[in-house]
Amino acid sequence: MQALFSPPSASPGSQQPTRRAWLMLAPMVLWLVLFAVVPLGVLAVYSFCQRDELGRLVYAFSWESYARVFDPRYLRILWRSLGYATATTAACLALGYPAAFYIARREVRLRERLLLLVMIPFWTSFLIRTYAWIQILKGHGLLNAVLQSLHLVSAPVEWLYTPTAVVIGLVYSFLPFMMLPIFASAEKLDESLLEAAQDLGAGPLRVFWTVAIPLTRPGIAAGVILVFVPAIGMFAVTDLLGGAQVPLIGNVIQNQFLQARNWPFGAALGVVFTLLFAVSYGLLQREPRWERRRSP
Amino acid sequence: MTGPFLRLAALAVLAAAPARAAEELNLFAWSEYIPQGVIDRFTAETGIRVNYETFSSGEEMMAKVLAGGTSYDVVQPPDYIAEALIQAGMLQRLDPKLLPHLGNILPEFLHLPHDPTQSYTVPYMTGTVGIVVNTQAVKEPVLGYGDVFKPSHAGRIVVLNDNRELVTWALYSLGKAPNDLTAGNIELARPVLARWIPLVRVFDSDSPKTSLLNGDVDLGIVWSGEAAILYQQDPKFRYVLPSEGAHRFVDVLAIPVHSEHVAAAHRFIDFVLLPDVSRQISDAFPYTNPNGAARRLLSARQLANPASYPANGPRDTFRAIGRVSEQIDQVVTDLKNSR
Repeated sequence: MQALFSPPSASPGSQQPTRRAWLMLAPMVLWLVLFAVVPLGVLAVYSFCQRDELGRLVYAFSWESYARVFDPRYLRILWRSLGYATATTAACLALGYPAAFYIARREVRLRERLLLLVMIPFWTSFLIRTYAWIQILKGHGLLNAVLQSLHLVSAPVEWLYTPTAVVIGLVYSFLPFMMLPIFASAEKLDESLLEAAQDLGAGPLRVFWTVAIPLTRPGIAAGVILVFVPAIGMFAVTDLLGGAQVPLIGNVIQNQFLQARNWPFGAALGVVFTLLFAVSYGLLQREPRWERRRSP
Repeated sequence: MTGPFLRLAALAVLAAAPARAAEELNLFAWSEYIPQGVIDRFTAETGIRVNYETFSSGEEMMAKVLAGGTSYDVVQPPDYIAEALIQAGMLQRLDPKLLPHLGNILPEFLHLPHDPTQSYTVPYMTGTVGIVVNTQAVKEPVLGYGDVFKPSHAGRIVVLNDNRELVTWALYSLGKAPNDLTAGNIELARPVLARWIPLVRVFDSDSPKTSLLNGDVDLGIVWSGEAAILYQQDPKFRYVLPSEGAHRFVDVLAIPVHSEHVAAAHRFIDFVLLPDVSRQISDAFPYTNPNGAARRLLSARQLANPASYPANGPRDTFRAIGRVSEQIDQVVTDLKNSR
């Protein structure tokens, strides 16, 4: 945590750049404190409270909510959510990497146009785009019409309200978050390194695996985090495209704050969830260093 | 105990309000329930500007009112949430002198258990939770919960994504009163729901009509307003009140104790009671209109919609519940989890 907030080290001896660095960082730090640190603190306090009959908080210490978080039924929900998030991240990576890499290697004008295409969906509300998927995936929807006209299937396939629909919706929502950081990494990739590998006799696959992938690793890591973390907590897509058949951790937390009116339990789930992110982030950050040590 | 104090406080506010800012009103209501036309008309006729904030569940509304923050002038809770707010001392007594059109409300919607003295609330719209059937796809008669949750309907059912509703239907099917939410009764409901939940394809409280209209499901248990819109679009969608008993909800208008524009709030509530305004609401949202004078202005077609005005059958309103909401949530989460 401390490392996050310390300003970039200025040249030793001079005082002024440090102060300027702090000044430049101040709005960001203020933002983080107000909208990330303080709410997290509130969440942590709530998680140790109790509730009254109406669901109002009672400021009396209790471990009860945490005991419930580790109840097998909620752990099972957490595992299921991790499964969905993993599938989503893997699909985003498989689809997003080649596309982002391709875009990054085009000439400037084409690259900008292609990049614009990646970002255009953000112009429309996320919920409206998800409703559009209902129209595509429904029994008599676009997808089945296409499949049937190509004679790939004889009867309409049930896409909507299945786990497949949920993963499709999640991949669609998060794909740009995977592509943009990979694009940024691939764009900076030095073309001469790829050429050198080729000159030294590496085939295209080998160039890709031993040169391109390691050099774009920061982009991959950023993309994985940007997709994996929000995918675990997403509840709108699972409700709309999955028919809310099975609970995911995002739905459970939402329910605690609304229907069940048990804020302390919802807060405890949120805290555990956040800690989980912190740990997985730490693990992801460590990997490149470990890699670097192995391959000199 | 605190009653006289609250009334005194309310009177003080009432006296002070017109002098300060009677030209404003903070309204906190369900999304998709008050037509913008009604609000614009109110502002045009009274000069009172309306700040309209929306919520999508009664519990969400209660949480915000209890938390303080904005001082709302008119809130629109469902009956059982209003009951909890009255018990918590969060609603103020209405001044009947400022509500001359209260008499338009039909007697069957007055003095209900959530407000037996009719001192705190005025009915806005009411409805039921019942069965809607696509009669082209389902040929056999569907009259009650037991007929909906049959193995032959597996994967063809949409229900509200509302845990208390689910438990209520199970209690009805067991012949129990829906408000008899004891720990023992909820455990009795568990095996019933364990049979029902795996048959459901879609859980959706926001727009259950979508999956029916798309043809992805053939029958369901939904809000009557949704069923009324389905019937308007295609009369093949038939609405039935479950024979075992149905949940009737009454959404009301009320004034929180912290209101700063009490006179304007009364004015708004009385405005909604006007027959022509109430008719305008029915045109947009075809729930059951509790306003007798407004019903006389509705078209024969509107009154013939079986979802808006169903035949008589056993029905009950929800009562406020406390901690048992946790147990309900746990049972349904458990059962969905083991699919």
